[in-house]
Amino acid sequence: MLFLVCTVGATLWAAGGTETAAGTYRIGVFVPGVVDGSPTYEMMVNGVRAAAEEEGNTEVSVVEGGFNQATWEEGVMSMAASGRYDVIVTSNPSMPEIALAVAEAIPDIRFIVLDGFLEGHPRIHTVLFNQREQAYLSGFFAGLVTTSSMPKARPERRIGLLAGQEYPIMNEVILTGFREGAQAVDPGITVDFRVLGNWFDAGKAQEIATDMIGRGSDVILTIAGGGNQGVVSAARERNAYALWYDDAGYDEGPGVVVGSSLVRQDHASYESARAAIRGRIEWGTAIILGVADDAVGFDTDHPEFLKAVPPELAAEMEALLERLRRGELVLEMPVPGR
Amino acid sequence: MVAQIFQSSALLLIVALGGLVAERSGVLNIGLEGMMTIGAFTAVAARVLGASPVLAVALAALAGVLPALLFAQFALRWEANPFITGLAINLLAAGAVPFMSEAFFGTRGSIRLPAGGGVPIWSVTFVALAAATLVWFGLEKTVPGLRLRVAGEQPEWLRANAVGVKRYRLLGLIVSGIFAATAGALLALRIGAYLPNVSAGRGWIALVIIYLGYRTPPGLAVAALFFGLMEAASVRAQVMVAVPPTVLLALPYTLTVIAFVTYSAVRRRRR
Repeated sequence: MLFLVCTVGATLWAAGGTETAAGTYRIGVFVPGVVDGSPTYEMMVNGVRAAAEEEGNTEVSVVEGGFNQATWEEGVMSMAASGRYDVIVTSNPSMPEIALAVAEAIPDIRFIVLDGFLEGHPRIHTVLFNQREQAYLSGFFAGLVTTSSMPKARPERRIGLLAGQEYPIMNEVILTGFREGAQAVDPGITVDFRVLGNWFDAGKAQEIATDMIGRGSDVILTIAGGGNQGVVSAARERNAYALWYDDAGYDEGPGVVVGSSLVRQDHASYESARAAIRGRIEWGTAIILGVADDAVGFDTDHPEFLKAVPPELAAEMEALLERLRRGELVLEMPVPGR
Repeated sequence: MVAQIFQSSALLLIVALGGLVAERSGVLNIGLEGMMTIGAFTAVAARVLGASPVLAVALAALAGVLPALLFAQFALRWEANPFITGLAINLLAAGAVPFMSEAFFGTRGSIRLPAGGGVPIWSVTFVALAAATLVWFGLEKTVPGLRLRVAGEQPEWLRANAVGVKRYRLLGLIVSGIFAATAGALLALRIGAYLPNVSAGRGWIALVIIYLGYRTPPGLAVAALFFGLMEAASVRAQVMVAVPPTVLLALPYTLTVIAFVTYSAVRRRRR
């Protein structure tokens, strides 16, 4: 009997260790897009790598899914079916659905999905970022800028938001949060909301942003992927400011990009990868992280920020962050699909 | 609003004019999109390496000749299907440009020029005007232009007079390469960066404009302006009417189709 157990155990052990050393934890990172030029995905990959390095005995491989969204499910499916990964880490609001389909088809794969929300599947863990807080931070800062005496601020109390596309979180959370934040500075501020229609046409983004500036917006939050560069060009040419979303964009347009709200994908992917390696993740749960968890923030340390923004404005931003951290201001993220 | 119409139509007009010359010579160049990408990348690369804006555009135009020659080699000399050849040019650009970008700049993502490294947004309009005049004059008022048109419509007339047809089709392809690459260069320099997918389908819209403009330079100018007007209107309408922006963004395409159908129906009835 003992012999039998040993044999079966050894066989299983050998089967598990055919490709890598025994007990090695294998993480596959699926990037829906390419890493180059996407700081968000860069952060996700770095976070996972950092966790793997720290924990040891962990292998990380990164698979890029490319820009064609229609091929992502196939990409993830083949990753999962290869049997080479214990867990697949990915990030994008559209990924929970794909993770669910793949997890249904392949019995032992597990998923950590950042920037998405799905609860109840025993092998999927999701981490959503509090985008209402993030948009509020951006809106509050835009409000401060447009009412300030900064050189490019104009008397009209009008700010802009350019979105790549409309989607429920954009319309119901980001736009609302942005407006909410701005009107906390001055209730008279109006938001000029425009949609580009895709995530890459910088030429058209430049035309739209030029029109927005012409109609009185002196600061534009741009959430348009590759289109962002067009907003920076328009703002530079027409003397306005641009705000970045998700990562520190100050170097994308020095003197033009004066504020960046942050999503710390690296923190989130590091924490969840570490928990997975240690076997401490609560599978089946969906968590929402915000300013208090150091997952959402506003970059107030960058030299370009300190150079462009008067100290009293910077102090107001710090104060707002502190209120959110302490829970004196609570901005709950509405859960998608609920 | 007027400025915006010119901004969105100018680039389209330049590409469409190039495509028109190829089309009139008898080859439809559906590789315009890829040629734009090559021009955009070359211009930004040249600027990064120290070329002046004018030189960068000139180099980009030259770079546009390369895919045109390749197109001609396949479609004219080897008599390959021009549609497949055009598609291949697009695929080639989609693969080769990121490869070169990785090799020279270490990134497949965006390549940014420093502040003030590009060209002002209004400059494109003047290039478009110059291009329209040039193409109109070249096609309508010169002997090579006449022969090029004959090569497209009655090639046997040229053959009967012992004039090479393929030579004029080659000329048409080269002009389309130069124009598409120039438009790509101006687009990238106007933005001040090369970005993946920067041409964003303009090479395809340009093909539509060729036929919308009834294959004449003035017609193309009107068609491009109409499309630019629709684009500007859809952008402006986003703040003026309570219709979801995504619906408005589809308007330029829908209205262009409706306008085209109406116009050709009216025209036919008059005849």
